[in-house]
Amino acid sequence: MSMEKPNKKHLNRFPWIARFLRGWAIYKQNILGKIGLTLLVMFGLMALCSFIPPLIDPMYQPMIGVDPEISCSTGPSIKHWLGTDFMGRDILSQLLAGARVAFMVGVSAAFMSIVLGTTIGMIAGYMGKFIDTLLMRLADMIMVMPTLLVVLILAALFGQLNIWTIVLIIALFRWPGVSRVIRAQTLSLKQRPFIEATKVAGASHVRIIFRHIMPNILPLAFLYMTFRVTSAIITEAALAFLGFGDPSTVSWGMMLQWVWKTGHMFKAPYWLLPPGICISLITLSFYMLGRAMDEVLDPRLRNEEQAG
Amino acid sequence: MALLEVDNLSIGYQTPKGFLQAVEGVSFSLEKGESLGFVGESGCGKTTIGTALMRLLPRNGSVKSGHILFEGKDLLNMSDEEMRLIRWKKVAMIFQAAMNALNPVHRVDDQIAEAILAHDPTSSREDAEKQIEDLFQLVGVPKDRMRDYPHQYSGGMKQRAIIAMALACRPKLIIADEPTTALDVIVQHQILEETKYLQKEFKISIIYISHDISVIADACHNIGVMYAGQLVEYGSRTEVFSSPVHPYTKALLSSYPTLTGEKDKLEPIPGEPPNLIKPPSGCRFCDRCPSARASCKTESPAWAELTSTHSALCSCIR
Amino acid sequence: MHSVKTMEESSKKPILQLEDISKTYSSKASFFGDTGKEVIALNHISLKIFKGEIFGLIGESGSGKTTAGRLIVKLEEPAAGRIFLDDSEITRFKGKALKDFRLKVQMIFQDPYQSLNPQVSIYDTVSEPLLIHKIDNVQARKHLVLQTLKSVGLSPPDDFLHRYPHQLSGGQRQRVAIARVMVLKPQFVIADEPTSMLDASISAQIFNILLEMREKLDVTLLFISHSLAAARYLCDRIAVIYRGNLVEIGRGEEVIQKPKHPYTQALLDAIPKFGHWDEVESYNTFLKAERDTSQGVGCPFFSRCKVAHQERCSQERPHLRKSDNSHSVACFYA
Repeated sequence: MSMEKPNKKHLNRFPWIARFLRGWAIYKQNILGKIGLTLLVMFGLMALCSFIPPLIDPMYQPMIGVDPEISCSTGPSIKHWLGTDFMGRDILSQLLAGARVAFMVGVSAAFMSIVLGTTIGMIAGYMGKFIDTLLMRLADMIMVMPTLLVVLILAALFGQLNIWTIVLIIALFRWPGVSRVIRAQTLSLKQRPFIEATKVAGASHVRIIFRHIMPNILPLAFLYMTFRVTSAIITEAALAFLGFGDPSTVSWGMMLQWVWKTGHMFKAPYWLLPPGICISLITLSFYMLGRAMDEVLDPRLRNEEQAG
Repeated sequence: MALLEVDNLSIGYQTPKGFLQAVEGVSFSLEKGESLGFVGESGCGKTTIGTALMRLLPRNGSVKSGHILFEGKDLLNMSDEEMRLIRWKKVAMIFQAAMNALNPVHRVDDQIAEAILAHDPTSSREDAEKQIEDLFQLVGVPKDRMRDYPHQYSGGMKQRAIIAMALACRPKLIIADEPTTALDVIVQHQILEETKYLQKEFKISIIYISHDISVIADACHNIGVMYAGQLVEYGSRTEVFSSPVHPYTKALLSSYPTLTGEKDKLEPIPGEPPNLIKPPSGCRFCDRCPSARASCKTESPAWAELTSTHSALCSCIR
Repeated sequence: MHSVKTMEESSKKPILQLEDISKTYSSKASFFGDTGKEVIALNHISLKIFKGEIFGLIGESGSGKTTAGRLIVKLEEPAAGRIFLDDSEITRFKGKALKDFRLKVQMIFQDPYQSLNPQVSIYDTVSEPLLIHKIDNVQARKHLVLQTLKSVGLSPPDDFLHRYPHQLSGGQRQRVAIARVMVLKPQFVIADEPTSMLDASISAQIFNILLEMREKLDVTLLFISHSLAAARYLCDRIAVIYRGNLVEIGRGEEVIQKPKHPYTQALLDAIPKFGHWDEVESYNTFLKAERDTSQGVGCPFFSRCKVAHQERCSQERPHLRKSDNSHSVACFYA
């Protein structure tokens, strides 16, 4: 028993650590979560390792590195583990760079749209009346606009778009969906007796929103974030594939665009398959992560011992 | 021959944490025109018995052993088709919170007519309408409200409509699971009185399931007290109510505040009911029983017969 | 046996007073042709509750009893009338005055499955009121929480600190809700149907906790319920409310044994006889088929009253008048 005490004191000083460890213990039990996390770690390593090939030899530069001896698409070899593209650039380094871009784009766009959507949804739901109507009509207007089309139009007007502009636009167009769901959740939470009980105890609006409503909304927000990541990655890939991506950024979608444009679709499976498989796998792994995190964040979904 | 004879019924549910033994070794019989009430607190297995009698257990539920003899035929051995014919025509069920079972987008008489026509394809819509008129008169809903939607009905009226639906095919047995729980006291009283009247008029047998022993005692000829999946006391309502024998029945009765008589201090039952995934050997109530003996923990209790109609599952009686 | 405080023993000045309180709800006209309706939830209610007593407000659903509780605890505002706590009028309280008020008046909610935040541990739930009212010392807070949990019967309290609501049974959750209310040591607590979601044996435990609270902490309790039997067990005085109107107030035992208002009598008739099936003497005051009345005129119980006198009861609204020293009835013929 004396071993327990020092540990507990330590944990109590940093409740976040305790909470994280508890959450991890729960997360570990979920098979989907473990698979998803493993895949994501793999992709994460890929992203980190994307810096390595160019350091070994400049010909491994994903964008500009060209093998002096090869100037066409070749299959896997010792020098190029996945082969080369139509210009003689190494496909593996492109794939690794693509992982980096996927994370960047996916996570940033998702994060921005979630922060925006959650804040707006919570405010609309909690304040109600005029503010609610105003914000939701704004959301409606944005929601009906097709993202892809708008980006295409913007690209046509302003020329090729920078990757961060694309991220921003994806975020700005995706928050309405999030905010509707968050608002609905806030509305139903507002009526719940435990919120009234906190009001009766004397809590301020701020305390109610951040201490009581937000934690009950976070699971939903996180779940949506994982979906947003997948949709952001796919949107960016689609844009790149259609030729409207950032030409100076190597992404998986861009790789697919090159395969198609240079007519190698059916001739070079070593070039076509890796980016496609990566896009599918990364979206799947984010989804699995989301499901497992849902269990951690919502105590009721856990398979724990129940009393009585 | 009794209308319903249940012999040594055991039912369980497959849960992620293991097999939950919800009902164990329950036996009882019901004559035509009689009413039997199962009373017990949450988790005692009374609702499970009700759904099992209709063979409407959820997918993870299964009958482990026992027989359910309805008019001499074992319901558990019947095919799905034979069972479907029995449901509603011979045995009807009123589920918990049944008033929420009315489809809000259909008119009430349409829903009842649907039930009638489904079980008697030979009757026409006009016949069904006439039947519904008669039923509504029986249960006390004004005829001019037949074409209304459920949301236009009050709670009491919805419950009456549900009772009308259950009566539609003139069943021999109705199983009513918490039929009046969500209703106000006065409406509850009216509905119980009306049900007693209908029961006498049409000689319908009724099985009531409730957690409220006062409602059961008012409405039923016989009472079965359930605890932790087992039937612990069985007898006529006077026997069980006025001279309870099982310690749980006694404890349950003394947790209710009364309107008349001495204002004794309510004696709540300490502790919690046992986990039915690993039910304890021996008596399931002994942890909370004020008169438990050492042997109660290890030996399964035996049925003690006090009269020909009154018995209890306890080794410490007499 | 618990002690029964009579009016003589407790002080004469009321701790809580409702003066001519009214509350209406209007449902908006909907697009589908539903014309907006105004529902009168409370109709000119006045009552006094004295320090240290347990006062029962008994009525069926839609009677306005829960609304009365919510008005007192200021979750909603009355349309008219005033509410007094001790001597100060609290109806217009805002800001700091409101926060101080919250230290003194608390509420136990009906549904223990909904009144605790599922994301928050038991410790955080019970200590939150202390945090809100700036009782700063962590050690002091923890001590108070442990003490309060023990007093509601959650023993050993350490076991419960880090659990979450879904790990507790209904009875345990309701005890946590009571602990959350009591940790601030309020003067006045409203218990809104605290046991309607619980089994009988668990309800009995909760009743006994409420009685203990009154004994040990001298808290005044307003017990809102639909059960006259529970009110008889717990309450010193009982008020019966019907469709927003108080129809009878008196000492608990008197209202139960010698009810004067036809509605109270109808309620007593309807309650299950609990074994006394031979004593079928009933007051028989309830009309099964509702009478036609004009809205808002006459006695609120007229449409259901078997013993009503057509001319007077349908036109005039009776007010509460004393029938003997502690018993008041709102009926011309009681």
